[in-house]
Amino acid sequence: MEKVTDAMRSEIREIVYDFFAQECERDRNEITDLTNVIDDLDGDSLLFIELLQLIKKKYGLTVSMQSVGKYMLQNRAETVGKVIDLMIYVMENQQKLA
Amino acid sequence: MKKKVVITGADMITPAGIDLASSWDSMLKGESCVRQISRFSTADLETTIAAEVPDTFNDLVSQYCRRRAAKQMTFVSKMACVAAIRAVQSSGVDFAQCDRRRAAVILGIVNTGYNSLELGQDNDRIVKAMSNAPSAWISLEYGLEGPNFPIAAACASSAYAMSFAYEMIASGQADIVITGGADSTICPEEIRGFNQILALSTRNSEPQKACRPFTIGRDGFVMGEGAGILVFESEEHARKRGALIWAEMAGYGLTSEAYNIVSPKPDGAGMALTMEKALRHAQIKIEDVSYINAHGTSTPLNDKYETEAIKKVFGHYALHLPVSSTKSMIGHTIGAAGAIEGLTAVMSIRNSILTPTINYDEADPDLDLDYVPNIARSHDVNIAMSNSFGFGGHNATLIFKKYN
Repeated sequence: MEKVTDAMRSEIREIVYDFFAQECERDRNEITDLTNVIDDLDGDSLLFIELLQLIKKKYGLTVSMQSVGKYMLQNRAETVGKVIDLMIYVMENQQKLA
Repeated sequence: MKKKVVITGADMITPAGIDLASSWDSMLKGESCVRQISRFSTADLETTIAAEVPDTFNDLVSQYCRRRAAKQMTFVSKMACVAAIRAVQSSGVDFAQCDRRRAAVILGIVNTGYNSLELGQDNDRIVKAMSNAPSAWISLEYGLEGPNFPIAAACASSAYAMSFAYEMIASGQADIVITGGADSTICPEEIRGFNQILALSTRNSEPQKACRPFTIGRDGFVMGEGAGILVFESEEHARKRGALIWAEMAGYGLTSEAYNIVSPKPDGAGMALTMEKALRHAQIKIEDVSYINAHGTSTPLNDKYETEAIKKVFGHYALHLPVSSTKSMIGHTIGAAGAIEGLTAVMSIRNSILTPTINYDEADPDLDLDYVPNIARSHDVNIAMSNSFGFGGHNATLIFKKYN
């Protein structure tokens, strides 16, 4: 299990918020952890894949997209807060999801 | 009993303009939009010219499409969506007041233009490349829950789509259908491919004179691109909401040549059959037709056979019937051609003026119809016919009628 520091958590939070604000053309201040990505931001499922690719690239992760996809089937990430939790989970469980 | 099908809105994006008004104005002026290809190097191509949609279209996309959606669209999907949104705006329809389960989207799409110019920019390959993407995006835009699907019939694709849109409404399965088509095949591999089958003009030194339908000097078609979208509605539905009715779609004819994968049947037999079928379907007498918007590609065979077919169907009346080619100005928009040219015919009905066949400077002695040479002509149009004939032997003729 990888150690995700508080600084990294904050950074991931910023990345996720910025990503949804930009992709969904919303003011960042409109978005909270409880914002629903599909219903409130009019987002689409491909957003999750793009965000995961962004995180993978930034942190050099070696996780398999398919493994993360299977995990997401059991652990749905519908809100922005849940998406942040998911990204942190992925970072902390790289080997399991490789 | 069949319901009457009317047109209540439309828009087009063409090499002549990024909306219906500017495209129409340019066509009435008889302007050629054919230029040297600007988007990629043509150094190793036999044909270096095409009719491209103005780059200003790209500035328009953000006004109509959400950034997120636009990112997942090809140029073809963007043209389809922008034209559809403006067509709906022009129709004045408010889908919140309609039964969205009875609203459909049927588009003529050969492919979405996911070609070498679009590749490698992102990882949205599937969403961009799927041929149902343009109709799906339009359905999503308005939350329409009737069927949405593409029809591929080469150069007759959007004419086929409009025929099926007609049928959906006439049979009572839908109240409203957004129909038409979009296409862009101006990319190195497509130009090379069409060159290989000797379909394109190689008059590279005179781009604006390259597309010259029905003349002795015609040497192939010029590639165009664009979108044409029309809002079809049942007369009952349109009248109930007080819509302005542009024209009526009176009928159509569809046939297959079953002859050759690219070449039309000799003497235009298949083309004639298609026009006859459309006239029968619309219950129109030949002498009631006021104008034909021809397929008129500027290829040696099409123009010859289409002329022969018109003479076969209309007999002596053919010599008194104006026939013109929109392609002479905007090139061949392939999957969008049936819609753009059908809409041009509708505009002729609405405005009592015919768009010309430009570059008509030296007649082919064997082709002796009235091709509306070079200059637009005032002409009362009660009934207009629009022809589309595609590789693979896909033939379509649409008939539009002034709405009284």
